[in-house]
Amino acid sequence: MTYESLVYGFVFLPLCLAAYQIVPQRWRRRVLLVFSYLFFWLISRNLIVYLLGTTVFVHCIGIWLEWLKSEQKTELASADRSEKKKIKGIYQQKSRRVLAFGVLALLGILAYLKYYNFFVSNVTGILGNVLPFTLEQKKILMPIGISFYTLQAIGYMADVYWGKIRAEGKLEKTALFLAFFPQIMEGPICRYSDTSDTLYEGRPLNMDNLTSGYIRIFWGLFKKKVIADRLAIAVGMIFSNYTSYSGVVIAAGAIAYTIQLYMEFSGCMDIIIGSGELFGIRLPENFRQPFCAQSAAEFWRRWHISLGTWFKTYIFYPVSMSSPVKKWNQYGRKHLGKYITMLGTSAIALFPVWICNGLWHGARWSYIFYGMYYFTLILLGIAVEPVRDRILNTFHISDQSVWLKFVRIAKTWVIIFAGELFFRADGLRAGISMFRSIFTDFDLNALTDGSLFNLGLGRADMIAIAVGCVVVAVVGSVKERGTDVRKSLFRRPVFVRWALCYALMLAVIVVSAYGDGYQTIDMIYAGF
Amino acid sequence: MKKKKRIILFLLIFVLLMGTCSAGIQIVAKNINGSVSGRSRVFASVSAEKKHTIDLLVAGDSESYTSVSPMDLWDKTGIAAYDCGQPGQRIQETYYVLKTAFRTQSPKMVLLETNTMFRDPGFLKNLQMSLTEPLSYYFPIFKFHNAWKALFDGPGILQNAYKGFEIRNKVVSYEGDEEYMKETKDKTDIPEVVRIYMEKIRNLCRKNGAELVLMSAPSPKNYDYKKHNALEEYAKEKDLPYIDLNLKYRDIGIDWKKDSYDKGDHLNILGARKVTDYMGKYLQDNYGLPDRRGDDGWKDWHELARQYFEELKKKI
Repeated sequence: MTYESLVYGFVFLPLCLAAYQIVPQRWRRRVLLVFSYLFFWLISRNLIVYLLGTTVFVHCIGIWLEWLKSEQKTELASADRSEKKKIKGIYQQKSRRVLAFGVLALLGILAYLKYYNFFVSNVTGILGNVLPFTLEQKKILMPIGISFYTLQAIGYMADVYWGKIRAEGKLEKTALFLAFFPQIMEGPICRYSDTSDTLYEGRPLNMDNLTSGYIRIFWGLFKKKVIADRLAIAVGMIFSNYTSYSGVVIAAGAIAYTIQLYMEFSGCMDIIIGSGELFGIRLPENFRQPFCAQSAAEFWRRWHISLGTWFKTYIFYPVSMSSPVKKWNQYGRKHLGKYITMLGTSAIALFPVWICNGLWHGARWSYIFYGMYYFTLILLGIAVEPVRDRILNTFHISDQSVWLKFVRIAKTWVIIFAGELFFRADGLRAGISMFRSIFTDFDLNALTDGSLFNLGLGRADMIAIAVGCVVVAVVGSVKERGTDVRKSLFRRPVFVRWALCYALMLAVIVVSAYGDGYQTIDMIYAGF
Repeated sequence: MKKKKRIILFLLIFVLLMGTCSAGIQIVAKNINGSVSGRSRVFASVSAEKKHTIDLLVAGDSESYTSVSPMDLWDKTGIAAYDCGQPGQRIQETYYVLKTAFRTQSPKMVLLETNTMFRDPGFLKNLQMSLTEPLSYYFPIFKFHNAWKALFDGPGILQNAYKGFEIRNKVVSYEGDEEYMKETKDKTDIPEVVRIYMEKIRNLCRKNGAELVLMSAPSPKNYDYKKHNALEEYAKEKDLPYIDLNLKYRDIGIDWKKDSYDKGDHLNILGARKVTDYMGKYLQDNYGLPDRRGDDGWKDWHELARQYFEELKKKI
């Protein structure tokens, strides 16, 4: 059962909504929990034990950390000034150890399930003849959503450790935070403070939330089923037979895949966030018009926002504030100057972020390369910033000029397309070969010889993609100007409002890529 | 309250809109049934048949439409038959194909090939099928929605289909054990979902005055005695006629070296013609299905049969 399936939309959601509404308010979060576990069980069966185990473990770690804090408080209350520092130090060390135990245990499970075979294949590939023992690949089943709920769980423990939140006393609440069904497969990766208020409140259903939620769900279906699932046909053809295509087609494939990934992932996010809205639960946004970004760094503040925020909060800041980095800063300012120190600090803090970003997507060298690609580009962006500012000043070019903005957006697009080419390619070697062919085999004849029109898509499919993209782009530009599209829709006269809703619903039903001639396309990020 | 009324009105208009679009798309699908491909094709093509001209509907998965050739049956017996099977047809689809056919046809008999009765794709898939099939039946826009593409891609190429049958002349022999029907007392389970839908199919046939007959087509790859036992027991329990051609393939004259299309999974045209001959006699002897060869309403069947035998001559 996926979020775009009929079973989800016509059976699961209505049943959950009905059960949620019927029970008293204090029982509502339990209804959500039962349905969340049912959802997870239906897609992962016995692998639900991983989620249950993680939940109990994280809950206990949270309570342990909270208990240490209260113990510290009690001891501090009766201690004199000279002892207070010592007590604080002891408890900080204890808490740190508990947190480290919690984080390492969860990362250990994730690493084993996700990276064991990758590790084995690389170790045996490099040291196969030297090793006195043999490492064998294992058939490991990974529960869906583990990469998402593990990060949420680590974030929760860290927030309790830092004192940003109090540990949750009720197991059912921790369980719901980790397992809430709309977000368990693809995120967004929520922080406890993001969702806890509306998640546990058990507000009664209301027409405004239902209307608003269903509009968002249909909008997500439009992006996924009308555009992404069609593009998937051509993208699959190009990437699996890349040696048969010239550079122009490969470049088109990279662009098509980027659009497919955006429509698919952001479409699923719309369905997920819309599903939450039906219950009055606010989930954080994961996309903010990423193709309006003017740099690689800005792109990542607009694309998969919850992952970026997680890395920033739990890796970038802690590394930046760590004592080795502080020492480097002191040393650098004294001996190397401000610029080199800043560059060094950025490199030290960004490197783990981007290596983790690459690895998080999966156990493949191409993903690690993808992470390093953005690490290099973002660092380069920081490095050339002073030179760029000087050039702009010299030629009296305003930083806000429209043409400069377009140039920057175009440059960012090229960066994004190239990155996604490596991300989608079947391995790093294939990625490099495809990238190279764009420059060595750039034959413009492909535009006229029909290569672009023999990718499994008919004229009607192409028209559907083009019109769909235009509609999404128009809505995106309206949102970029700060307009809330749905609120603006609700202010229109009833005739216009209803006509637009019917148009959206009929577009999803009539133009979507389902039924004969199409295959069900799995949700890409659910595989991570 | 006002909001609730508005929502109800909104939904009512939407249902009306869907109904209107469905009616429209059904007309389009009938006219461009060459453009309707895949699983929906049989729904469009059976609906496009002239009203009340089919006396025998053959339903089931690919075993059904590779075993009975309506044109041979027409030529030998004058029985007007139609193959409305689909590849890997699931029991929910069988029910709704028949329901669709009964809208415009009044067959005297439904011959159900039984391989579909052992197909169980699991709870979620069954649930999904049990949702999508009725939804598509009442709102055909879900089934034929891709018909809009014909506006830009042009109408599809209408393949030669002889009342749901295609001439498959490839020969890939079955080299396995010819004694594949070894007697046993064991039984294969008939899934619960199949039992539920079989009940619906029985009621549908009863309501429409059609006799339901179960038939197992010869297929060493798909049948064994365990399935035979299960089907025989089921047929007895429900008082349905059941004919297992796997026990009679020698009488029919099936030669697994020549009559198999793909290593004993399906029959090729040679095998299909032998089964059709046998079934024709069986139906004539046991059921009084009418001979339509002299009736005016079936004149176009002669023309189709002529085309069929012409193609047959070229292919075998």
